[in-house]
Amino acid sequence: MKKLSKMGRKVLFIVFGLVTGLYAEAQTKTAVTSKQAAMVEEINLSAADIEVFKEQTKQKIEEFQQYIVTLGSKDQPAEKRNMAEKEALKLFYEGAQMEISVIMPDGTTQKVNRPMEKYLARLKSLPYTRVVIKFYDIAYVSEFTKGPDGKYYSTATIIQEFTGYTADEVVYKDITKKEVEIIIDLVEDKFFKEKRWKIFLGDIKASETKTTTTP
Amino acid sequence: MNHLSNILRRSFSFCLLFLYAVAADTLSAQNLVSSQKTGEEIFTARTKQFSEFIERFNYKSDFNGNPVGQAFMSKMPREKMIALLFDMKDPRTVSGNQNYSEEYIKTRSAFISDVTQKQLLINSHSPGIIAEARARVIYNGQPQIISLFLNQEMVGKTSYKWVLLSAKGDLFDIFKEDTTMVRFIPPTSHETDFINLKRALEDTDHLQDYASNSYYPDYLTLFFYSIKTRAIKYEYVEDVTYHIIDIPGWYFKVKDFNRNELNSGWLITDVKRNSLSLSDFLKEI
Repeated sequence: MKKLSKMGRKVLFIVFGLVTGLYAEAQTKTAVTSKQAAMVEEINLSAADIEVFKEQTKQKIEEFQQYIVTLGSKDQPAEKRNMAEKEALKLFYEGAQMEISVIMPDGTTQKVNRPMEKYLARLKSLPYTRVVIKFYDIAYVSEFTKGPDGKYYSTATIIQEFTGYTADEVVYKDITKKEVEIIIDLVEDKFFKEKRWKIFLGDIKASETKTTTTP
Repeated sequence: MNHLSNILRRSFSFCLLFLYAVAADTLSAQNLVSSQKTGEEIFTARTKQFSEFIERFNYKSDFNGNPVGQAFMSKMPREKMIALLFDMKDPRTVSGNQNYSEEYIKTRSAFISDVTQKQLLINSHSPGIIAEARARVIYNGQPQIISLFLNQEMVGKTSYKWVLLSAKGDLFDIFKEDTTMVRFIPPTSHETDFINLKRALEDTDHLQDYASNSYYPDYLTLFFYSIKTRAIKYEYVEDVTYHIIDIPGWYFKVKDFNRNELNSGWLITDVKRNSLSLSDFLKEI
């Protein structure tokens, strides 16, 4: 979690009470109250802060990838995989979804949306005796842009190689490109009793680039 | 050790991409397709996001996402960088193809030289970047594809959002063109409290003929109404294309090419000269 500069903290304390009250009001992913929108207009991250968050985004992505590798690995103890699932979920913004492009037998593509918790649970219980998931070392993270809700948005692109085995035979292999929404939001730190900027992962769009299925 | 391997990998990637650029000079798609590249090499070369497309087009970042420096500039001038952002499998640019077009090649060259000589840049939040989201909807129980056009709007002083500009699709083509008939409301109808309106409005396929010369159907309102009355059920976006009119005098189209090659990701698929404003462009598109 990133600590705010002194100046930033002063501004925050002034609006803290008001914002806290307003957060209780209705807010969705695509709508905020006008009052809140007017207030967050004045709370901005500096260019230097954003650079730090870009680096932290890469770390969050690596963390997420590590959890995916662990929860997919059937040779890992169940407790460790369950823990990875739980920790992976903590990285996400509430209500985050996974959109997967599925290639249909007729060659057309259909998209399926799943809540992140369901996607992770499915990944843990795939019908293979062994699953190997690898990620490329490189991730592309776009510049952050502030939204009308005061949050900062970016997208990270990662590539995942998935191999499913039955006994020692590869029965399914795919390479998937994943676009991960990144959100920097002001959240309340219960310990320090103040608001701090924190990075979350948001919705993910997954599209296959290459698939091999062995009958 | 890890740092060293990263440097080595990046140097190797750069060499590879340099060779890619040399190959691109000849614009031979086959060279690029046949050679076996590792996934990471392809991922590095690929224009992974539209934002990355803009950064490369504006010559702000190299293939690894680092700021463009002198070393990179000397090996990869901007015109070469922009040439790499074109779809090299475009049949109009592949010699020997039946659709090969000398005229298109000239237009492409004129575009590249105009952009590089005048040092033109795309503003990443420009209203001249129009996203066309081809969306799947259910209409009368059947899946249909419509296009929703969006661009970005500034909110306050520091924030941005995407806004809907227009909608298009076969299901919105509610009027029929018919030039064999001249339809009108007679000039003295006002004296009879427009009794003729009933006749005109029963001619449901040609209602537009009774509207003014400047009438242009607002399909976005029609789309909103259809969604609100549940005549249309929205499902999801199938794919996105960007229409860019932010470079003065030009229009170009950017699409995502999801293929396992160096020349992949967000690439320019068409370029034309353009003099239309945003509103006229939306009518023409």
